[in-house]
Amino acid sequence: MNWREWIKTLTFYEILMGMKATLSHLLNYKPITLQYPHEKKPLPDNYRGMLALLRYDDGTEKCVGCDLCEAACPSRVIRVISAEVPGEPTKRYSKEYYMDMTRCLFCGLCVEACPVDALGMTREFEWSVYDKRNLQLNKEQLLAIGDRSYPVREKRIEFQHPNVAFFNVSFKDLPQKEN
Amino acid sequence: MLETGIKLALTLTQIGVIMGIVLLTVAVLTLLERKVLGWMQDRMGPMEVGPYGILQPVADGLKLFFKEDIIPAGANKLMFSLAPILSLVPALIGFAVIPFGPNWTLEIFGVEFKPFVISDINIGILYILAFASIGAYGIILGGWSSNSKYSLLGGLRSAAQLISYELNVGLSIVGVLLLAGSLSMVQITEAQAGGFWNWFFFTLPFPQAIAFVVFIISAVAETNRVPFDLPEAESELVAGFFTEYSGMRFAFFFLAEYANMILVSCVATVLFFGGWHAPFSFLQGPESLTWVTGIFWFTVKVYFFLFLFFWLRATLPRLRYDQLMRFGWKVLLPIALGNIVVTSTLAYLFPGP
Repeated sequence: MNWREWIKTLTFYEILMGMKATLSHLLNYKPITLQYPHEKKPLPDNYRGMLALLRYDDGTEKCVGCDLCEAACPSRVIRVISAEVPGEPTKRYSKEYYMDMTRCLFCGLCVEACPVDALGMTREFEWSVYDKRNLQLNKEQLLAIGDRSYPVREKRIEFQHPNVAFFNVSFKDLPQKEN
Repeated sequence: MLETGIKLALTLTQIGVIMGIVLLTVAVLTLLERKVLGWMQDRMGPMEVGPYGILQPVADGLKLFFKEDIIPAGANKLMFSLAPILSLVPALIGFAVIPFGPNWTLEIFGVEFKPFVISDINIGILYILAFASIGAYGIILGGWSSNSKYSLLGGLRSAAQLISYELNVGLSIVGVLLLAGSLSMVQITEAQAGGFWNWFFFTLPFPQAIAFVVFIISAVAETNRVPFDLPEAESELVAGFFTEYSGMRFAFFFLAEYANMILVSCVATVLFFGGWHAPFSFLQGPESLTWVTGIFWFTVKVYFFLFLFFWLRATLPRLRYDQLMRFGWKVLLPIALGNIVVTSTLAYLFPGP
């Protein structure tokens, strides 16, 4: 050590510099924390929060029970029990739809896999519960989440743009489109 | 008989008032430490309980009071219960000799009464050092009797640390005692009257600034504070010697730590910074108001040292164990000894008034 470093050691130079840094933070006090439950950070636009099942604007469920979400899910969160719509043999729906949100990793693959956009990711994230059985959601709960997170609903596919490709729709009961 | 009764009542009142103030200061300190640490780390500190979190000490106290008091299986029950008391009592008992204000003697019902010091004994500083050493037993016994490896390691570390740093505390204040010519805290304070150039931190023939640095470093080590908090190193030993403690027993250790901080700050104030004396004698005010300004200046100085403790905690990382030992024995001890030699030589050559 040369004499310069000796003097630095003897006068606690480094420690004093550190104390100066902490004191400057005390004097220029600008907290970077948010008081979380009272103030929340703005979420990014593509935030992937709680999953939800969606409805069309007339209140019918979008889900057609195709099981593609169940196949896409890497953590096996989703379980779909599909059934025919009574009286309409060409049309199917999900009789039961379960999500085990304790396993979900919010990757969004089920939403991408859905051919009818029946699944959506909401911006809800405060889903801590005391009993983890409360995170095993059934179809009604998922629809309720969708209802409160997506108040503006789509029209049914057959009423959307005429060139839209759609399937699993039986035509016989529908009103004819105006040409 | 009546005189003894009055004397007892007066002393008990005084003890009650001073204990109350000390414990209240502890409560304030717990909040202040978290706040200051938070501010220094760009956080807010506790904010939930009360406006800006000022009721946090009350909430903490209530929580500790209502917590279950657990005695771990295999613990030595007697020692386990004794350790927190053995830790707290020496921390509080040291305040008996601290002069908080001017050395007045009042006559109340024919009984002599010193309002600002509980007992002016002529070995005051030795008394404080002796009881600080007993405080180490509380920590060591608490660590040993918990029947837990973390507690035991914390207790062992604290044994070695407290013994080696107590030596430095004792040696660093010898210079002050040489200059003051007394061991009584009141006499030491009296020797520093008149202005800040008479404080032993600045005084001629040899300013005790080096001794003060040694004293403060050793004091931080003795109170088990960061950067010398090896006995309770959170990242290695869970909570060190009080890992197994909960409820009021834990609160006793907690109180003891903060009371020790206050005591050490008081001692540093009295020994090096003139106790209750103002930096300039005109700031002391008229004779009748000396006690107000005295207590004011004493509080200001003590709180400065307490702030220094928080400041160091916010700044410095923890030392490794061998660094701690090497620093204590190879650096601080020679400095303290050299300070004694130089001070005694100069005090002999240039005897004071």
